[in-house]
Amino acid sequence: MSAILYHGEPNGASLTVLAALAESGLAIECRHIDLLGGERHAIAGIADPVARDLGIEGEGPVLVAGGEAMTESVFLAQYFDEAAGGAGLQPADAHARWEMMMWCRQITERLSPAAALLGNMANAQEAIAAIPDDTFAALTASIVSDDLRERWQALHDGVIDAAQIADSEAKVAAAVDRCEKQLGDGREWLMGTFSIADLVTWSWLAGMQPLQPAAFADAPLTQAWIVRTGARPSVQAALARATVPDPLRAWAPGPEINRWG
Amino acid sequence: MDEVTLYHWEPNANSGKPMLALMEKGVPFTSHYIDMLQFDQHKPEYLAINPQGTIPAMTHSADGQKRVLTESTAIMEYVNDRFAGPDLMPADAQDRWRVRWWMKFMDQWLGPSFSMIGWSVFVGPMVRQRDPAELDAAIERIPLPERRVAWRKAISGDFSAAEMAESRRRVSLGIARLEEELGKRPYVGSNQYTLADINIFNSTYSLPLSQPDLAGKDKTPNIMRWLKRVYTRDAVKKTWAMGKTDLANRYGLIMAEIEG
Repeated sequence: MSAILYHGEPNGASLTVLAALAESGLAIECRHIDLLGGERHAIAGIADPVARDLGIEGEGPVLVAGGEAMTESVFLAQYFDEAAGGAGLQPADAHARWEMMMWCRQITERLSPAAALLGNMANAQEAIAAIPDDTFAALTASIVSDDLRERWQALHDGVIDAAQIADSEAKVAAAVDRCEKQLGDGREWLMGTFSIADLVTWSWLAGMQPLQPAAFADAPLTQAWIVRTGARPSVQAALARATVPDPLRAWAPGPEINRWG
Repeated sequence: MDEVTLYHWEPNANSGKPMLALMEKGVPFTSHYIDMLQFDQHKPEYLAINPQGTIPAMTHSADGQKRVLTESTAIMEYVNDRFAGPDLMPADAQDRWRVRWWMKFMDQWLGPSFSMIGWSVFVGPMVRQRDPAELDAAIERIPLPERRVAWRKAISGDFSAAEMAESRRRVSLGIARLEEELGKRPYVGSNQYTLADINIFNSTYSLPLSQPDLAGKDKTPNIMRWLKRVYTRDAVKKTWAMGKTDLANRYGLIMAEIEG
């Protein structure tokens, strides 16, 4: 079956999926789209768009396979791993796999929304605010999800409250602490062996280093892990797809911050 | 010899997920009922098992090791991976992706809205009648700060009109999308009964009663057909027999409604 991966600059969710694809060795066509130009909401040839339209991850990559839009970076990474017949991105042991999924869920529920908010405020908010009103109206009209459209609008209007920023900074610091503890026994990779957990964590955390340096100051193991993961050929291959000089500064509206429970 | 103990509340929402998964797989387990409305989940005996104070949790002893597992969807995946019995995940990679997508959609987008409504009309009023000092002390024992906030809100009925409206919007949209999905295939995300069906069933089994304006024979025939298919499974009947509150009584009412 032919499939096409539509992705933004290699950062956040797009980076996880591009690197996982490289790890899997699958030959799937990759097409760059301009996330801040709203191109994710105008992909042609989608017969079944529900996962694109109600994607929890926000402006993440979209794999179109058999006319179906597939989203969510962790699940796309699992899909590549499984479609390749097991590319070693998920531990074989059931308990180790449970640990990996728990880790990934912590990252996508807590770190991803926080990193997206801080990254957007630092690197994308100005560009989104500068989109002319009629262009912005057309762009947001193409977004099916009301809550994703509201996140675009909040960035456009610059109405992010200080408590959200503080909460996001705390969540980035907490994610670094978690990594530092996890790596404390001298292990090379977060789950012992290399896995999707490394890719998803790196994809949201690496871009936070220049923005939140204090969070990383007392985390030498995490810093070394960031260097180690960044040097993997799959991550390098993903980064090589960038169309901008510093892709780790490229952000687009991301996942929502948990609203309840 | 494997030993499995499940700490759970009613066969409903999150607690119902591992109960049903274990039942479907035919894994014998010791049931440890945690009365959520009595805050059993924040008592020292339970915090010794799961320091986060969330339910459900499962312990699995095997090969000289005892492991504690938390988070209902992740526990189900572990149960399916670790034990023999019918496979509750499809074989095809794209079907597996779809099953995972629907579970995340429920766990992170739709479920919290069901939960907010459920807490405002059911859990809040049930516990509100108690002694305020006793409630305050109970809330102070909750380990996770966000759960403390959630309980305070539920007890004081402190949901804003905007929050409730957003939850109702999501429930309405979520039901419409589920109806579409079940028009495409017999089960959620694939052609076989999987973890996604268990996950979503646990939060939607009472829709014909709880959301009659949104779900029912005429409005959502696909959901009703699917509910009937799931209701009649032996594992579902056995799991529901473990219920201790009035929820168990509701199952009978819904069953009558579906079969009528």
